[in-house]
Amino acid sequence: MSPSNKNDQLDLGLRKFIKDLGYIAGGSVLLASTPWLQSCTPEKLEEIKGQKARIAFIGTGSRGVYHIHNLLNIPHAEIVALCDNYPPNLKTASDLCPKAKTYTDYKKMLESKDIDGVIISTPLNWHAPMVLDSLAAGKHTFCEKAMALTMDECKSIYDSYQKTNKVLYFGMQRLFDEKYIKALQMIHSGLIGDIVGMRCHWFRNNDWRRPVPSPELERKINWRLYKESSAGLMTELATHQLEVSNWAMKRIPDSVIGMGDIVFWKDGREVNDSISLTYHYKNNVKTTYETLISNKFNGMGEQVLGNKGTMELAKGQYFFEDAEPAPAILQLINQMESKAFSTVPIAGPSWVPEIATQHKPHYVIDGPISINPGISTTGVDKDGSDLLLSAFCQASITGEKAKNIVEECYCSTVLCLMGNQAIEQQKKIDFPEKYKIPYLNF
Amino acid sequence: MNHPYSNYYEFSSLFHGSLLSIMGTRFDILFVIENKEIGEALWDNIQTELIRLDKLFNRFDTESEVSQINSSAFLSPYIVSSEMWDILLSCKKYHQQTYGLFDITLQNLNRVLLNIKDKSIIFVDKDLHIDFGGYAKGYAIDKIKNILIENNVQNSLVNFGNSSILALGKHPYGDCWSIGIENPYQKGEMLGEYKLKDEALSTSGNMPSNSKHLVNPFTGKFNEEKKMVSIITKDSTDAEVLSTSLMIAQIEKREEILHHFNTSKIFVYNL
Repeated sequence: MSPSNKNDQLDLGLRKFIKDLGYIAGGSVLLASTPWLQSCTPEKLEEIKGQKARIAFIGTGSRGVYHIHNLLNIPHAEIVALCDNYPPNLKTASDLCPKAKTYTDYKKMLESKDIDGVIISTPLNWHAPMVLDSLAAGKHTFCEKAMALTMDECKSIYDSYQKTNKVLYFGMQRLFDEKYIKALQMIHSGLIGDIVGMRCHWFRNNDWRRPVPSPELERKINWRLYKESSAGLMTELATHQLEVSNWAMKRIPDSVIGMGDIVFWKDGREVNDSISLTYHYKNNVKTTYETLISNKFNGMGEQVLGNKGTMELAKGQYFFEDAEPAPAILQLINQMESKAFSTVPIAGPSWVPEIATQHKPHYVIDGPISINPGISTTGVDKDGSDLLLSAFCQASITGEKAKNIVEECYCSTVLCLMGNQAIEQQKKIDFPEKYKIPYLNF
Repeated sequence: MNHPYSNYYEFSSLFHGSLLSIMGTRFDILFVIENKEIGEALWDNIQTELIRLDKLFNRFDTESEVSQINSSAFLSPYIVSSEMWDILLSCKKYHQQTYGLFDITLQNLNRVLLNIKDKSIIFVDKDLHIDFGGYAKGYAIDKIKNILIENNVQNSLVNFGNSSILALGKHPYGDCWSIGIENPYQKGEMLGEYKLKDEALSTSGNMPSNSKHLVNPFTGKFNEEKKMVSIITKDSTDAEVLSTSLMIAQIEKREEILHHFNTSKIFVYNL
């Protein structure tokens, strides 16, 4: 297989599920529930066939290189420029894309007329200045989550985005992960009944440190551990999960309480290694958020608890509370929910009853499911990141904004920062009036 | 416990109700209804009716009417409820129409006397008992159908243990309800599909796991043929009675029996 063929295959695979959504009769209804996918349908990709987005990277550390690897497999993009102020990282990236021009000053790079889109994977404190500069330089922009280090910065980004005609994406890859999309559709169709609670957690057992070649580089390389550059586990991990929680609830929490401490990794770091928070929604449903990085037994997960069943989003599995709907009946219901009509194989001699096995898993997707165990601190395959990036590159050609991504990232980032405030101030924090945006639905 | 389950799917305005353990099997109903609350109220009615009928027909429940009859009717008239009276009369009629193959005593219904004056029943033989196994689900579905129609439900699928199905109206995205039938001896092998619209489907047959449940009243022996009979009629009770009777009927008798019933389709599978 030639390389270009391989690329085509990959991209087709990535978009197959969007196609599936669109091909089911009434798929427009399904696409309407995932509006951010409307700008990257296979049909729209076909329209830009042969064109390539000229992409530049700011930040070529571990996450930046992860994106470079994904981008090298995207046929409608080419990497034209790389920028990092840490020479070893810049060299790693340059070795991967020898044709790309290298920079150490991102502002210089943004002056180039030969760049359509910019991908930012830098420490959190750099997100706001870089995103704002990139948009101001007329570049379509993709930035890693979380949105920014402070609520003010988040608001500045949000406000700039309202004024720009440029595309802005954030690294909220669950929005592009097939198993999440399908599971959320199933939840919203009523599969597990009314949502009565959510439990999100992310447990690892490592110090979250990167090796430092010499002591003066500690704060640069281990930026995640210091408050000047990081909001800790909340912005690095919880952003994704709170976003999913809001997606499931179709609303935003109005307050948060909780605690956070340094329990185990007492190595001079400033950010907590243990956090327990409870987010409250106006309908009194609560999302509990727990993260700990000195025990990995529970791994990573997001459970949506319904009065009729439980959806384990990260595993793509669901369970019923008591009685199990018969598989054939469930199949028929799923068809109707997709406006499809076909034969249901239920007739036969009388069914001999068997008492339902409690908590037997059902799967959101037929066939192999890609599950993120939550261990990697860089990124994993097939978690939606590749399609997200592909969609951004497509948008860098078409200029079509993706609906909701900025807003979703804004909400989850502000909620993470509220969580940190609740920990620091040891009190309940309400969603600040000042940072409410019209998108929010409490 | 009946293990009730229900759910409303707003996108397709679909209500799903299920009882996991009722009349010895499971019951599922799907109906299209605009409003969740109306759906829940209707499902309450349906559950109440099913539980009432289970109570009426369950011969293992000592308090059920059928148990009372079985324990009291030998040589002593037992006055039955007016509903039971109508049921017994209809069973008598089916007995005649099927030339004795449909028999709620599984032996000889002629040894059961019905007295129209006081609506009482007497067993003439000591060992007699009645069993509505080949009747009750069809009767229950006809009752449920009436409830659905009274409540203006146009499209509904009722599945009573796979063997008794009612297709009211049509699938919301099709012009009928399309029901597939699987070979019980060969999992995954589809034997056929039935396009049903305002029709009942009843299937009778043996399964590898359960081959001793159909008794020929004339021989007293179980029918253990690897065979399956499906019947489609307007009336669920008719379908129920016919599928059991035709499962044990000689081929030449089938036509004669069908002659007494309206617009029936019959499918016989030799497996």
